[in-house]
Amino acid sequence: MIEVVDLHKTFGENRVLRGVSLRVARGTTYVILGGSGSGKTVLMKHVIGLLKPDSGTVRVNGVEIPKLEGQPLIEARRMFGMVFQKSALFDSMTVYENVAFPLKEKERGLKSDELRARVVEKLRVVDLAESILPLYPAELSGGMQKRVALARALIHEPPVVLYDEPTTGLDPITTEYVDDMIVQAKKKLGVTSMVISHDIASSFKVADTLAVLYDGVIAAQGTPEEVRRSEHPHVKKFLSLWFEKQ
Amino acid sequence: MHRVRDALEDFGEMVLFGLDALRWAARPPFRPGLILAQMAAIGVGSVFIVSTTAFFTGVVLALQANYAMRQLGAEGYVGGSVAISLARELAPVLTALFIIGRSGSAISTEIGTMRVTEQIDAMETMAVNPVQYLVVPRLVASVAMFPFLTMLFNALGFAGAWLMGIYVAEIPEGPFLEHTRTFVDPKDILHGIFKALIFGGVVAIITCWRGYSAAGGAKGVGEGTTRAVVASSIAILLVDTAFVLVTVGSGK
Repeated sequence: MIEVVDLHKTFGENRVLRGVSLRVARGTTYVILGGSGSGKTVLMKHVIGLLKPDSGTVRVNGVEIPKLEGQPLIEARRMFGMVFQKSALFDSMTVYENVAFPLKEKERGLKSDELRARVVEKLRVVDLAESILPLYPAELSGGMQKRVALARALIHEPPVVLYDEPTTGLDPITTEYVDDMIVQAKKKLGVTSMVISHDIASSFKVADTLAVLYDGVIAAQGTPEEVRRSEHPHVKKFLSLWFEKQ
Repeated sequence: MHRVRDALEDFGEMVLFGLDALRWAARPPFRPGLILAQMAAIGVGSVFIVSTTAFFTGVVLALQANYAMRQLGAEGYVGGSVAISLARELAPVLTALFIIGRSGSAISTEIGTMRVTEQIDAMETMAVNPVQYLVVPRLVASVAMFPFLTMLFNALGFAGAWLMGIYVAEIPEGPFLEHTRTFVDPKDILHGIFKALIFGGVVAIITCWRGYSAAGGAKGVGEGTTRAVVASSIAILLVDTAFVLVTVGSGK
């Protein structure tokens, strides 16, 4: 479904990605765990074509993303829904307008009552009531914004959902809620998910496959249990600090 | 040296950005709703400031012209000289400068905030081109509304001049209006309107670009807005000078 092959990217002197390869199977959740500055956001931006690699490639559903420009790239992006770290909801639009936005743009001419029905349906998936539709993002709590962001990412029923640090800055209860939401989106809608995170607990909870990104390469990869037993010194240190706390 | 190179690079990127916006303006989907909203924000929203500026500009210009011309016994020409100054120069330039202060800064701040809070990235991931969605409506609305506001400036500026000329300076109305008619040709008004069209495009591209290229949080947005206002004001004066040199030249 998603295939990243030997991806390299350098910004000035800084070699951010130094040969990343990975494969995400259809209908599974792939979590990339890494500290700040490990290059995980850069990796995700390559998957959706916001950045172009120096070498290597990304294939999503057989489509080679870095080769696309202009209209074909725009078309290819309809395969994705993306949930941003800080939700990135359009603050000049209401919740309804935010969630409806991708669908309205994809299927221009869609009748307004059908559009509304689809918005409400997706809000239910993320457990939100219809009453928040006329509110603006600034009137919602951080957790609710995150859920609206997920509803917006799911509205056009994309086969792939990308999550950029979905639990950063949330309290433990909301974090658990967001984790459930990721699992539910996979179960109910069958989406393929890619999550980048530095939240170890969440990562172990939602991942089918887990990878640890360190210094621009993937240091360990496998099921959460396999990664936990990794002998890579950085991975051991990264995980042990957290497991010791538990 | 670095700063010169960076500035040139930034200018080049802005020109490409402007061309990109023009290309996207010609491509469907067209978004009349967004264009109308921007016409309301940039155009209708600026009516008060433009009207006020125009009226008082006309008032003081008439009084000053009267002061100067009376010494030559030529006060009958006050109306004409004010009208031609407004039509060819003051209306398009002052209108542009005031819209920059009012709407240009708002454009830059809004787009800049969307940039630093990843709303523009989000839009791109939703298969919507942000240049087409955010920049094109502002560009079209500016190009459409600058000439209207310039005409409004002309009308209210002249109204101010007329009031002062007739009621304060007590210039006889007959010569005041007659000399205005003979002095001001429709092509003088068109000269100003044409400049307003160009100014609209220049202001929209510069202010959108400064927002679009903003980086680094609230501080970056603030700096972008400052640069947008300074750069577009200077650009208006430069474009105006170049235009006048080319079209009027030495006036021979």
